[in-house]
Amino acid sequence: MDSILQVNNLTKQYDGFKLDHVSFSVPKGAIMGLIGENGAGKSTTINAILDLIHNDEGTVTFWGQELSGSKQLKEDIGVVFDGINFYETLTPAKVGKIGRTAYKQWDAHLYQEYLKRFQLPLDKEIKTLSKGMKMKLCIAFALSHKPKMLILDEATSGLDPVMRDDILEVFLDFVQDETHSILMSSHITTDLEKVADYITFIHQGKVLFCKTKDELRYNYGIIRCGAALFDQLDKDEILAYRKDDYQWNVLVADKEKAKRKYKNAVVDDATIDDILLLYVKGDQAK
Amino acid sequence: MKSLVLKDLLNIGHNAKSMLFILLVFAIALIPFSGVEGYIFVCAILCSMMIVTTFSFDDNSKWTRYAMIMPVSKKELVGGKFIALAIFCAVGSLFGLVVGSIGGLISNKITLDLIGIGELLFLTLISWVIALIFGSMSIPLVFKFGAERGRVLLLVSFLIPAGICFGVYQLLATLGVALTDQLVFILLCCSPLLALAWCYVMYQISYRIFAKQEI
Repeated sequence: MDSILQVNNLTKQYDGFKLDHVSFSVPKGAIMGLIGENGAGKSTTINAILDLIHNDEGTVTFWGQELSGSKQLKEDIGVVFDGINFYETLTPAKVGKIGRTAYKQWDAHLYQEYLKRFQLPLDKEIKTLSKGMKMKLCIAFALSHKPKMLILDEATSGLDPVMRDDILEVFLDFVQDETHSILMSSHITTDLEKVADYITFIHQGKVLFCKTKDELRYNYGIIRCGAALFDQLDKDEILAYRKDDYQWNVLVADKEKAKRKYKNAVVDDATIDDILLLYVKGDQAK
Repeated sequence: MKSLVLKDLLNIGHNAKSMLFILLVFAIALIPFSGVEGYIFVCAILCSMMIVTTFSFDDNSKWTRYAMIMPVSKKELVGGKFIALAIFCAVGSLFGLVVGSIGGLISNKITLDLIGIGELLFLTLISWVIALIFGSMSIPLVFKFGAERGRVLLLVSFLIPAGICFGVYQLLATLGVALTDQLVFILLCCSPLLALAWCYVMYQISYRIFAKQEI
């Protein structure tokens, strides 16, 4: 697998929280979704990847090189955080001026095109823009220095579905170039279901799994059953389970096998939301 | 680094109108009573304080975190603040010179002869130096304590250089060195170099503070 970003054993200890030997890689031409509950370590992982915090252990490489101090690598990485990082009295035109002086690869024409595409007014102050418009401005800025890798930390949070759909389209366009990749953390798992190729699930500072979205979508399932059937289930096949009022919900990695084996059970497809909920709120069998 | 300085100038540009208003009020209040010299000095000091405001803007928009993912090093980020400060001080002292001269002429406080102009230009340079020394002290304080607490500690940035100057004056007095007009003039002529050396020390301290921080 030809990776753009390689994260190996990333570890960071805080009081009461530890990012614990996080490893995953983002292949070329792919969108990697980073999911997990609040406080799971998604933002800490992204901060560590971007060298904004000091790692206790582990390495992060982009195209085989460490980020720290490399200006060329930073030219090739576009980042969008969950809020705008330009002061509210600036305008998109002034933001463009800053971009032009900051990046060698800055393409003023491309920036203007994105502003037009996103219907962003050149001379309106940021404080007058809606949250969606602000995010679009951040994305326009991040894309206008022609990065090869985009890192998005909750970039679609707080946006309405129409706005999110517009933005997801931009991300899909971006990875049409197979040398490009996206690492995208989001609470909105439906967004990741739409665009992600891989899902990395972080829970309590640890990577629970890193799998292709199709594997989750086509193989993972939820057995809905009563207590009697639950007792009969092969515990080795159970990834996580949770008891609702009158029903057990059991996450399994092979739903077809479960359907064959437990003919009386209802086996549903598992969405990423279901998987996240069962891992976080349920019990893990293995 | 150019982008960082440009960002500060664009951010602070929004405050330009209110600063202009304040400086004009000071012109009316100060020039007829304290003269042009005091006004130039006040303009330079007030404009130097804008550097702390740029930190507030940065905090407000979480800019520093974003700057660090741009092709900018921590050294450049710190250096950019000192360049922005030097520009603010220059703008302040030159504004003081121009408006002060106009006000001085109107209120008959100055005359437009060669010596008078020379004195004003020299005073403008000294105001820039003093504002730069005071302002540069505030930068490590703000890096260490943040913009809000740093603003409170701004007084410290004025007291420390003043204390050092007083200490040097006392030391010279103890050593029996008399501060003649000629010696003061030489010291003032050397002051731009002293200010740059002072800024370099403040830059190193600021960088060390900032380099250890997690953003």
